[in-house]
Amino acid sequence: MPDFQLMRRKLQTAGMTHAIFLSLPVTLFAIFYVYPIISTFNLSLHSWDGFSPTPKYVGLRNYVVLLHQSRFYHAVLNNISWLVFLLLGPTSLGLLLATLLDRGMKGEAVFRVVFFLPFTIPAVAVAAIWRWMYEPTGGLLTTILQSVELGGLAQNWLGDPSIVNFALMGSMLWWTTGFAFLVFFAGLRNIPVEYIEAARIEGATPWQVFWKVSFPLLWPSTIVVLGMAAVDAMRLFDIVWAMTNGGPAYASEVLATQMYDTAFGRFEMGRASAISVYLLVIAGLIIMPYIHQLAKRVQDAEAE
Amino acid sequence: MRNLKWIGVALGMLAGASAARADGPKELWHYYAAGSEKAGIEALIAFANKQNPDNQIVGKVIPGNAVEMRRQLQTAFMGNTPPAAYQSSMAFELKTFVDSGKLHDLSETWAKIKGDEIFPEGVQRVVKVDGKPYGIPYDLSLINNIFYSKAIFEKAGLQPPKDYEGLVAVCDKLRAAGVEPLGNAGGPFWSLYNFYAPLVSSVGTEGYYKIASGELGFDSPEFRKALELYRDTMVKCYAKNWSGKTWTQTADDVVNGNTGMFMMGAWAAAYFKQAGFAPVEKFDVFPAPGTEGKAIFQMDAFAVPEGPVDTLETAEKFVISAASAEGQATFAVPKGSLAPNVTVDPSIYDAVGAKFAKQLADASKANAVLPNLFFLLPTKVGTELGVQLEKFAIDPSDANESELISTLESLRQEAQAEGAYLKW
Repeated sequence: MPDFQLMRRKLQTAGMTHAIFLSLPVTLFAIFYVYPIISTFNLSLHSWDGFSPTPKYVGLRNYVVLLHQSRFYHAVLNNISWLVFLLLGPTSLGLLLATLLDRGMKGEAVFRVVFFLPFTIPAVAVAAIWRWMYEPTGGLLTTILQSVELGGLAQNWLGDPSIVNFALMGSMLWWTTGFAFLVFFAGLRNIPVEYIEAARIEGATPWQVFWKVSFPLLWPSTIVVLGMAAVDAMRLFDIVWAMTNGGPAYASEVLATQMYDTAFGRFEMGRASAISVYLLVIAGLIIMPYIHQLAKRVQDAEAE
Repeated sequence: MRNLKWIGVALGMLAGASAARADGPKELWHYYAAGSEKAGIEALIAFANKQNPDNQIVGKVIPGNAVEMRRQLQTAFMGNTPPAAYQSSMAFELKTFVDSGKLHDLSETWAKIKGDEIFPEGVQRVVKVDGKPYGIPYDLSLINNIFYSKAIFEKAGLQPPKDYEGLVAVCDKLRAAGVEPLGNAGGPFWSLYNFYAPLVSSVGTEGYYKIASGELGFDSPEFRKALELYRDTMVKCYAKNWSGKTWTQTADDVVNGNTGMFMMGAWAAAYFKQAGFAPVEKFDVFPAPGTEGKAIFQMDAFAVPEGPVDTLETAEKFVISAASAEGQATFAVPKGSLAPNVTVDPSIYDAVGAKFAKQLADASKANAVLPNLFFLLPTKVGTELGVQLEKFAIDPSDANESELISTLESLRQEAQAEGAYLKW
């Protein structure tokens, strides 16, 4: 006969312990995440310059005005281009570098540091470095192209509205590939050697070993890298702001920089809040399936 | 228990630190982070602190520009911890803060420093809101001059042009000599500042103020004429790839002999000097066509937020020192800017600085001192004007011209409906 009272008491104590342990993170989450979101949503229904004592209620006007601005759509499109780029660019380059290094190259330790080093540099410093690299007349990139007789390919990197986003992505590639590389490299090193050897003994080519054995086993690393890339694409601000301020003439603007410019460049806090609510919704639509998938995998793993 | 004791000690120290902060020197916020401007503000603070030993002030750099300063101030105002004084742009930048009741009325201080006598009329009107002064001018730079490399001009046998035809002819000759004619830089300010010259040439001083007050539309024939003059002269002269450069990178192009002219604010003179490019010997300036006898200027002033009595007292003493002839010279010489105070001895300036000072004095007499239009317009109109002009300067197509006109005109009407415009 089970002792129900004892079990209930145990459960109660465990519940209390859980509640106590959870109270701090939940409070912090409520204060620093939930409250600002509610407050931002509330502000987005007002017209406010950021200083006057009373914001003026305008209903959904800020949302409607934004939907009629080509500037807003342009920023949304830029965020989506960044999403595609960050999911594919640094991720695949990082995987390539990790795979190359995993083959036991000479000087592996040195390359490991070299590949990861850019990621340790703060965004503003990366921006300052690349502003010089991209100087269109005497910058490093133009100079290198000219020295190998490819001067015709040199561009007005940060000043041409049709080029600037690619130029920014180039600097981002340099900056963030190190992260993807590190995660994939660690993932590759965690794959038991027996699996690879077994595949080789079975006569698999290196290509087949990679795609049929290593890559599927890298799935946890891939999930982390892709998830971070998606989050980065949505919250992108620092590199763009520090390098171009979203210019020339809005060409490289993303939602976060537009929000900042609207808030502090033009004193339209309400409209800026509406931009951030849109950003939250868009980011949610993109990232929620990922989180859902992740949670499901964790559940499955626990069930196993 | 032991942990609790340590927490208590830590809290005590924090409380002590904040109390010390309240009693210690008051803060002056500015965004002079490096180079000659940093030297200028440090010299001024040292000068004021020497004059006011009981009311010390410390400088605090807010990295960035006016936008970052606004962000920092907004947070500080929310938390009720604004600085004693801060670097502010003129006109609308001050007005926004005045409207929300955040700034201290400086009428008494203004009377003490005899502000109506020591500052030119054009300067006074952009620090006064509803007739009351809210800023003390200290950092003035003319923005209607074109710098040129003397070596390049001499080699090509050129003289500084007097009108737009002359400017275009000089550009053609420079290009033929393998030199980029006229430098410009990316961002919403520089093309706009360049555009003021064709604008004043087309609409006159009165028209300039009418645009500032919203009376003259962006779809008016006069404004369109100004755009076309800008397109057919300066835009045609611009150096290849200008939009991908910062202003200092373009200044380097002039120093390195790749670019012949550069229309930039007077601060470029200080940059040239620091790069070993000596005034008059290596470079000189001439007023942009159509602005001879006029002075278009950009200016910063010290604004004083409302605050406790002792903080206000320190701020007042600081701005009085900063407004004095000696204080103004202390800042202007290292910074390479002009002192707005007319009692400052012109001999403090180098040869090019003296030219600027004379230009300002002559324009003051002729009542032709024009403040930077960007700050006379409601903030959202001024900012959009800068962005649209940069876009137009990069690609002066008819489509971009129409978009510029329609975007700005609808913004003007919106701002007018909101009663946002002011007559400065």
